[in-house]
Amino acid sequence: MTRGSNPGPWQSPEMTRRLARRHAAEKRFRLFGMGAIGLSLAFLALLLVIMLKNGLGGLDWSFLSGSDSTDPSLAGVWGATKGSFLTMVVTLALSFPMGVLAAIYLEEFAPRNRWVDWIEVSINNLAAVPSIIFGLLGLAVFINTFHLPRSSPVVGGLTLALMTMPVIVISGRNAIKAVPPSIRDAALAIGASRVQTVFHHVLPLALPGILTGTIIGMARALGETAPLLMIGMRAFVASPPQGFTDPSSVLPMQIFLWSDEIDRAFVVNTSAAIIVLLVFLLAMNGLAIYLRNKFEVRW
Amino acid sequence: MSETPKLTARNVDVWYGPKKAIDNVSIDIDNGLVTAFIGPSGCGKSTFLRSLNRMNDTIADARVTGEIKLDGEDIYAGTMDVVALRARVGMVFQKPNPFPKSIFENVAYGPRIHGLAQGKGEMDLIVEKALIRAGLWDEVKDRLTDAGTALSGGQQQRLCIARAIAVSPEVILMDEPCSALDPIATAKIEELIDELKDNYAIVIVTHSMQQAARVSQRTAFFHLGSMVEYGETSQVFTNPREERTKDYITGRYG
Repeated sequence: MTRGSNPGPWQSPEMTRRLARRHAAEKRFRLFGMGAIGLSLAFLALLLVIMLKNGLGGLDWSFLSGSDSTDPSLAGVWGATKGSFLTMVVTLALSFPMGVLAAIYLEEFAPRNRWVDWIEVSINNLAAVPSIIFGLLGLAVFINTFHLPRSSPVVGGLTLALMTMPVIVISGRNAIKAVPPSIRDAALAIGASRVQTVFHHVLPLALPGILTGTIIGMARALGETAPLLMIGMRAFVASPPQGFTDPSSVLPMQIFLWSDEIDRAFVVNTSAAIIVLLVFLLAMNGLAIYLRNKFEVRW
Repeated sequence: MSETPKLTARNVDVWYGPKKAIDNVSIDIDNGLVTAFIGPSGCGKSTFLRSLNRMNDTIADARVTGEIKLDGEDIYAGTMDVVALRARVGMVFQKPNPFPKSIFENVAYGPRIHGLAQGKGEMDLIVEKALIRAGLWDEVKDRLTDAGTALSGGQQQRLCIARAIAVSPEVILMDEPCSALDPIATAKIEELIDELKDNYAIVIVTHSMQQAARVSQRTAFFHLGSMVEYGETSQVFTNPREERTKDYITGRYG
């Protein structure tokens, strides 16, 4: 056989068609992907436009500095914003250390046995429990058993911490698992104890991932309404809370209450409060992303 | 084999769950020379090495029976402090694994957690000495604050050696320390091993028989979890007592 006498598979018309089909599939996928992104962005933009159109007129100093009132022109969000802030402080202060410590223990120290498997399954299930159930739990435990003050940020924060903790545990475990074992070997092999290995090497590397999970959990807690209904945070509160034990509302609850009012003027208030909630959320996420990038270790 | 051996193993078995990975190994490892473990992949040489500083403890279902003594002290006894043991028996791994911290921090970490330095001046001295001994000082002395992970592979491995010797170990275990390196970096590490052997007992696991022949004075040949032969390197390579050793060295299998 002489060289070049066999054309091979690459010049056949069938191959040309096959290549064309593959390129078309490529193009189709890009189109679908862009469509999916476009659609979700369009909904987000629509929501923002409607909120801004309805609410921007209501955003003035008296709205930002006032508290709830039966008169829509006097009603403001300061009380609810402060309530949300205090509640988040309690939630974060409890769920973050507890979640991180639980994740570290389960991932680095716990023996592999049936009990630990059970705990693992329970935590995964806990993350999927409907939030209103946590509200019932909060009502039964914190208010009816421990007699903590009803409608207060401390009870709201405790309840939301129960809900947030499993999210932090799960994301924390994944972040810890993603730290290469060679780093643990390196530390152990020069005589670091297991606690030193974890706190000097594993945790700093896992922190960005843990913070990502914490952002997700906290954002969910900030927007949560149902569990707080159960512990009385839907009460009408006309003055901002002065501390963790004062009766208080939170932003999503305030939005829910106003959206239920008959007076048309509350529509503006509802939209304006949504804008405030979104800004709060963005500020929180922004801070968390800043922290995450700060702790990120480049290899 | 004049003086008392640094490390002695007697009838050591290592199990991973129900699987026996090491079967009845007894060996004496002496100060001031390099002992090489050779053998085909999966023969248990790395497993046995990791049982010498109890790194096998980190594997959930690993179990060691028999007796391993460091200076006559049973390292698996309840009274043995595993943290101190691992400082005395340092380890260098197959893949260079510097901490994602500065070059200085990589070396200083061990002395710091063990409290070996009083004050900054002494720490600087320890770090400098360790880097000099690891043959890395001239290359990094002007950039000690750079990330250890930014070094080349061979430099990273020498950094890991510096990190190990910074805590003044008595034994250094090396688990295929050159398998991820190019020939030039390998030559540097081999040179370094040769210099270090006067002060430490060095055990090196290697896949390369040429490397074992070049750097070691004693060689142990492992096969299927047992130690087939152990002796002077020159004798093992030129005049092996066992048929299996001869087959492996002449390239019949492995």
